[in-house]
Amino acid sequence: MVVITLQRNKCIGCNYCVELAPNQFQMSKKDGKSVLLHSTDKKGFFTLKSNENDILEACENASKACPVKIISVKLV
Amino acid sequence: MQKIELMAPAGNFESLQAALDNGADSIYFGVEQLNMRARASINFTLGDLAEISKRCKAKNVRTYLTLNTIIYDHDLSIVKTLINKAKEADITAVIAMDQAVIMAAREVGMEVHISTQINITNIETVKFYALFADTMVLSRELSLRQVKKITELIEKEQIKGPSGKLIEIEIFGHGALCMAVSGKCYMSLHAYNSSANRGACKQNCRKKYTVIEQETGFEMEIDNEYIMSPKDLCTIDILDQVADAGIKVLKIEGRGRAPEYVAKVIKCYREAIDSLYAETYQKEQVVIWMQELEKVYNRGFWNGYYLGQKLGEWSNGSGSHATQKKVYIGKGTHFFPKPQIGEFKIEAFDIAVGDTILITGPTTGAKELEVGDMMVNDQKSSKGTKGDLVTIPLGFRIRPSDKLYKIVENKVEA
Repeated sequence: MVVITLQRNKCIGCNYCVELAPNQFQMSKKDGKSVLLHSTDKKGFFTLKSNENDILEACENASKACPVKIISVKLV
Repeated sequence: MQKIELMAPAGNFESLQAALDNGADSIYFGVEQLNMRARASINFTLGDLAEISKRCKAKNVRTYLTLNTIIYDHDLSIVKTLINKAKEADITAVIAMDQAVIMAAREVGMEVHISTQINITNIETVKFYALFADTMVLSRELSLRQVKKITELIEKEQIKGPSGKLIEIEIFGHGALCMAVSGKCYMSLHAYNSSANRGACKQNCRKKYTVIEQETGFEMEIDNEYIMSPKDLCTIDILDQVADAGIKVLKIEGRGRAPEYVAKVIKCYREAIDSLYAETYQKEQVVIWMQELEKVYNRGFWNGYYLGQKLGEWSNGSGSHATQKKVYIGKGTHFFPKPQIGEFKIEAFDIAVGDTILITGPTTGAKELEVGDMMVNDQKSSKGTKGDLVTIPLGFRIRPSDKLYKIVENKVEA
């Protein structure tokens, strides 16, 4: 299973995660910050647990590209 | 004669209060992510707008919201939200670079200032932006002679902004400069995917570099490895020439700086500007101000490009050349209002009579004083150490959770 976490409040809205993992991330038109699709919010940390392991690479690339390092990706 | 407006950076409430307490005429600040210090975790939020406005209005200080990054389509809604909320809170103006921001602000009748990011270098560009803005920050690379030419032409040709008043010209007076033209840099984006133009500069230009010729592997010898890191701008020693250039606003850089930096720099420039108009501005005093400015964060000083370009004004270190630094000692625990005495819990190092201390907090700002008298654990004593509860007469109010620091000498590496 892939576990992705986004610490959303620190997002500066640069859009790189959307470029690299468009199926998992979208820019919010409301506040201009990144949205991790289908995630659940726990005190500002948005987490998605997915059994589709093939999303791992794209999400890892998004995590590496993030300039404020707020995306973490784990394979469990 | 209209006095030059002194504009202070406010990265958080501590710095905001320090600016107000030390005589700023106006402050600029960022909210949420769309400003040139988006990376800083200390940015204000939308909910802080009312408090910022209230505190500044009480002191008749103007407030400017920086909204000066490049803007993507997904930002357009938050841009409007920020501008609407700023207008609601009666913020004086928006500092903009992107045309989308300029347009959104004009649509709701919000005053616009043109950011240095637009890089205005001539009178025709001033005329163009006069359709939208009342104040313009010129490019940091202009000389004072060029600045003066622009301000003279504004007067001569009566170039007015939407308010009907003559365009006011603003320039940077003090603080960091970088190797890029007016901050338009892609170095951080290129190396770290972290765009300076989205407020996320990683400052890689401040590091040491060597130059190697690829074909031969020959390493070029350069005197200074910090080849891309300019010294900090300082104009306190040429303030008479700055005023003579006809500028109306002097901006101090440093929204990422500590509150004591804001306090010190604003205090010095306040005194200097006041002395210009009192006709008491003189060299002896400049020396004292320079010594004061050197106490806080700096990479060494130069006059920027204002007196024409001089080569070789590069910093010779990656960090600060400040002659002083602060050391965390403890935090405030209680305040006795009648005798104006503060009580502190010492959590690290020690504190002694004669020490210079700094107290910072969101409402307190940044206040410095010398310890004249002290009680340690209810006994009169000249020294307190870790674990002690000390009380010190202050003469001003502090709050529980305010931080207590000791100011010590900072040994600068040659």
